[in-house]
Amino acid sequence: MSASASATERRGIPAAVFVEDVQTYLSQLNLDVNSALAFLQERLQQYRVVEMKLLAQQRDLQAKIPDIEKCLDVVATLQAKKGTGEAIIADFELSEGIYSRARVEEADSVCLWLGANVMLEYSCEEATTLLKKNLENAKASLEVLVADLQFLRDQVTITQVTIARVYNWDVHQRRHKKTPAATSSES
Amino acid sequence: MQQAGSSGSEAEVTWEDQQNINSFGRLNNRLHELDDEIKTAKETNENLEDASNELILTDEEIVRFQIGEVFTHVPKDEVESRIEEMKEVTSKNLEKLEEERETIVAQMAELKKILYGKFKDSINLEEE
Repeated sequence: MSASASATERRGIPAAVFVEDVQTYLSQLNLDVNSALAFLQERLQQYRVVEMKLLAQQRDLQAKIPDIEKCLDVVATLQAKKGTGEAIIADFELSEGIYSRARVEEADSVCLWLGANVMLEYSCEEATTLLKKNLENAKASLEVLVADLQFLRDQVTITQVTIARVYNWDVHQRRHKKTPAATSSES
Repeated sequence: MQQAGSSGSEAEVTWEDQQNINSFGRLNNRLHELDDEIKTAKETNENLEDASNELILTDEEIVRFQIGEVFTHVPKDEVESRIEEMKEVTSKNLEKLEEERETIVAQMAELKKILYGKFKDSINLEEE
């Protein structure tokens, strides 16, 4: 009987079955060696496709997080200046290579870009709360994603090892089939 | 990439062996990620160093300091303290990353001993 991993699948990714004994595995599947190897290779390909997708999602999240942190920085700076009555003078990019100067006085509210061509005005406190929540969510999603990737990579490793073992077993079998000529007791 | 190769040896692979191989794979991946993160952290540190050196040289009272996507006009002293803070944060982060790296290298060495011990030539755990 083949022992399997602790989970049979994770969020749509099927777990690779760990093979205790190659012979038993092949007879259970009722496949010859080449079919088994083909099946395992196909599984490996499927895993790779999912891996690409997850890696792309991971890159997106990893870019999003510093962006949110920068926004929090700006809002915090605006809030800090509110009390002092001073205006903030800032140079910002008008267009590529062209900068202009802005004077920001008494920042009571900020506008946040929510995506889909929508921008909403918030008070500084509300903006900070919203941005912090988005940051928490992004970090949590990233954690789950990283765990998914680890699970996936484990399944890839198990499948690679199984392929190697099935192949070796086959080589072993063939070698044994050749030598019996000297030891067979056919008369 | 590390994988279990073969030279026709007889050693059977147990679930424990498989788990060791999986751990080794995970640690190796994390090691590569860490190396990238450490490189970035070192670059950030260097940039902050350069920035504070420039600060000392400049005679302007108001410095344009980047917050978010804009450059706000900030008095020189405040910029100095901000940069010092940022340097602290980056140094601590770098330390933490390098510690983690050392731990991982040690764990990988342990696993190599165990796996080579059992599989000898049948397994290849070296970087290509």
